[in-house]
Amino acid sequence: MRKSFFVVIMPIIVSVFVYLWQQNTSVRLAYKVSTLQADYDKINAENDFLRLKINSMLALEKMHKIAQGKNLERPDEKSIVCID
Amino acid sequence: MKINNKNMIDRKTLLVLVVLSVFFVLFVKLVYVQIFLHEKINHVVEKMVNREDLEIPKRGDITDAKGKILATSIKKCTIFLDPKAIEDFNEVKEVLFENGIKIFQKNLTDLGNTSYVPVAFSVDVDIVDKIKDKKLKGIGFKNKYTRYYPEGRLLSHILGITDNEGKGLEGIEKIYNEFLSGNSIITKMHRDGRGRIIQNKIVDQSKICGQNVELSIDRTIQFIAEQELRTAFEKYKAKKAICIVQNPKTGCILAMVSLPDFDSSVKIKNVGALRNSAISDIFEPGSTFKIVTVAAALEKGKVKLSDVFYLENGKLKIAGHTIKDDHKIEGSVSLGKAMELSSNIGMVKIAQRLGNEDFYEYIRKFGFYSLTGIDLPGEARGLLMDVKKWNALTLPNIAFGQGIGVNALQMINAFSAIANDGVLKKPFVVNKIEKLDTVTETFQSKETKIRTVVSVETAQIIKKLLKNVVDSGTGKRAKIKGYTVGGKTGTAQKVDPSLKTYSTKYYVASFCGMVPAMNPEFVVLVIIDEPMGASYYSSSVAAPVFANIAQKIAKYLDIEKDDVNQI
Repeated sequence: MRKSFFVVIMPIIVSVFVYLWQQNTSVRLAYKVSTLQADYDKINAENDFLRLKINSMLALEKMHKIAQGKNLERPDEKSIVCID
Repeated sequence: MKINNKNMIDRKTLLVLVVLSVFFVLFVKLVYVQIFLHEKINHVVEKMVNREDLEIPKRGDITDAKGKILATSIKKCTIFLDPKAIEDFNEVKEVLFENGIKIFQKNLTDLGNTSYVPVAFSVDVDIVDKIKDKKLKGIGFKNKYTRYYPEGRLLSHILGITDNEGKGLEGIEKIYNEFLSGNSIITKMHRDGRGRIIQNKIVDQSKICGQNVELSIDRTIQFIAEQELRTAFEKYKAKKAICIVQNPKTGCILAMVSLPDFDSSVKIKNVGALRNSAISDIFEPGSTFKIVTVAAALEKGKVKLSDVFYLENGKLKIAGHTIKDDHKIEGSVSLGKAMELSSNIGMVKIAQRLGNEDFYEYIRKFGFYSLTGIDLPGEARGLLMDVKKWNALTLPNIAFGQGIGVNALQMINAFSAIANDGVLKKPFVVNKIEKLDTVTETFQSKETKIRTVVSVETAQIIKKLLKNVVDSGTGKRAKIKGYTVGGKTGTAQKVDPSLKTYSTKYYVASFCGMVPAMNPEFVVLVIIDEPMGASYYSSSVAAPVFANIAQKIAKYLDIEKDDVNQI
């Protein structure tokens, strides 16, 4: 009687346990993925923002105005020394 | 004892009956809820748990030929308040104020009976995070991409503008909107008991976001052209100014400037400034058009380089009108000299040998009165009377570039055809379109040959003539250090709209030239519309601008010096 109980009931209990564990894990992983996705989006947005900032800082018109403000002049061709 | 037992049974029965009735009530309620209310409850739960969101993807970037970003989209936030959900209005105000957002309403009721009160727009993501960290109820956030142009005014006409929803309205933003905008999708999400969002589908952003567009334009060349042109534009208090730089071998546009311009990032007040004069405005080209007359006559064999023309002492009467030369030339001169000195009378005589039909054919062959097909919106076709309707003055006028309307791009493209040994190429500004963060190319521009306009021999002769114009003719001020230059000046009279005749006050000064003269690497066209000042002649207005631009570009492109006298 006891043996047959284990033979019938135990697989059912194990199956239910596995099913519940799988459900639980999938929900946990979904949360993790959701969080990671949000982090990824945030880093991406930050990256875009920084790229814009770099490009704005290196904008030729801006650099030209700064150079003019500091009275910098284009060097004469002969005074440029190229170092390999 | 019996009585006691009976009482006990009654009590037990009563208790059972009470319990059973409770269960019965519960059962009835359950049946009511499950069977009669299930639709209503389902709807409420669906509304609470499920959420649909329209995902507007990041618009693709526009870069120059070297990958420098010219237009990009950044995620910004709109912060709004939901007065119905706010628990502590003062705390909400305080937190927002700490982050630079001021709420002017004193009481919660002042916000009105709505669930959406926007209080700040285009807020940076890091500020939004700081506010979110406070976990206050009643503050909502809505993400939106905002378009930025880090180079400011540079290339404004080419890049164009977008509307508030991110749709392209002008320039590349308009023409390539389909590629840049990407695919909007609706994402379905679930919320758990705590209101946290669980997505049921992971959206691959790289698949839905817009594609990057790489231009053929080099921002350094564009900057050089823009700086020099702006200086001249301000100096001569001109109405408009245009500069185009083109690679004649491929047809690709390296720079295109139209002044006045605008800053795409700032709200545009003057809508007229949006007009890209380089392709949308037509003008009478003047003497720069003489290359078409000479090239056509040479190609058709109607004239030879050694032919001599009598220049009528600077005045030629045709059909009751007098055609004059700006610089009086006495006696007869060769074809080359007529070109060097930009003789109108010489050109009339050359065109007369050619005849109406052949001249018209070559005008069209060079691409005039046809769209060039450039990938920019608003190109004008130009103006040219049907050859059958030409009168006695039409041919002589067109011979020296009056009586015909062209756009700047058509003009430089015709010069490029000569520079490219007679082969006319289709101009283009987009090199390729590719997916963001991937190397998948959707589209790659290929140089397109339109037609062979003149033979290599004719093109070589014209290049030699253009070189002479700069060496010893009207274009001396277009000379640059270390390089040979070929080019042609053009000073065209404008039609006075009130007098309906050619004005003696308003001119268009232009210069189109190529460097190096015999094997050109680039062609530059400079047009100054209505220059004010001591001189309006192209030789003193447009040619020096060309020289400044060409000198810097030649150095930037590291083109091998070819002028042995000046190296």
